[in-house]
Amino acid sequence: MRYALLVQGAPYSQQASHSALRFAMALPERGHRLDSVFFYHDGVYNAARLAAPPQDEPHLPDAWRELHERHGTELLVCIASALRRGLLDEREAARHGKEGHSVEPPFELTGLGQLIELGRRCDRLVTFPP
Amino acid sequence: MILHILNRSPGGSLVYRDALASMGPDDRLLLIEDGVQGALPAQVRHFEPVLDRLFALREDLVSRGLEGRCDEAVQVVDVDGFVELTEEADKTVSWF
Repeated sequence: MRYALLVQGAPYSQQASHSALRFAMALPERGHRLDSVFFYHDGVYNAARLAAPPQDEPHLPDAWRELHERHGTELLVCIASALRRGLLDEREAARHGKEGHSVEPPFELTGLGQLIELGRRCDRLVTFPP
Repeated sequence: MILHILNRSPGGSLVYRDALASMGPDDRLLLIEDGVQGALPAQVRHFEPVLDRLFALREDLVSRGLEGRCDEAVQVVDVDGFVELTEEADKTVSWF
């Protein structure tokens, strides 16, 4: 089956990101494809390019990146949630006159329409709330 | 059949009441994160109407030192079992 996950909890504050990641890693082993993960509300902090957690703790942004590299999972970040929280890719940083950027591929800033589209396209959409 | 997923303990949030009220006769309820506390004998009575359809996530029980302490009516599943529950359901609803 084709799966999509919606992650709304903040990394390192709530368990949502860890729960979602654990679920994501179990999917391929049961023969499923994880199409996309959509980060919404405080979940967008999962895309922070400059995240530098202590070495003995899970590095969530890196773990999502690895998921993308291994399985081609799209990492979609709600642009409205992201801009409010200072998470900008190069293009948005330039557009808003900011020095430096805080989001980079494979994370993509995108609109809520993509979430609706995921719900339509995937067989299952599982939400991990705060 | 809908799989309802609850991540709040009945001791700390009343959202479980909304979840129970919205459940159809075949729907299932999976307790995850702090929600697994609802699987303990002292709290499981809150889930009386769905005791035959009540699941708890093993990994979250283990991380809270609660494995082996669930009420015997509760079916404990690991993350593979969680995925399987989503396969069997038409869709999932998360309560928080």
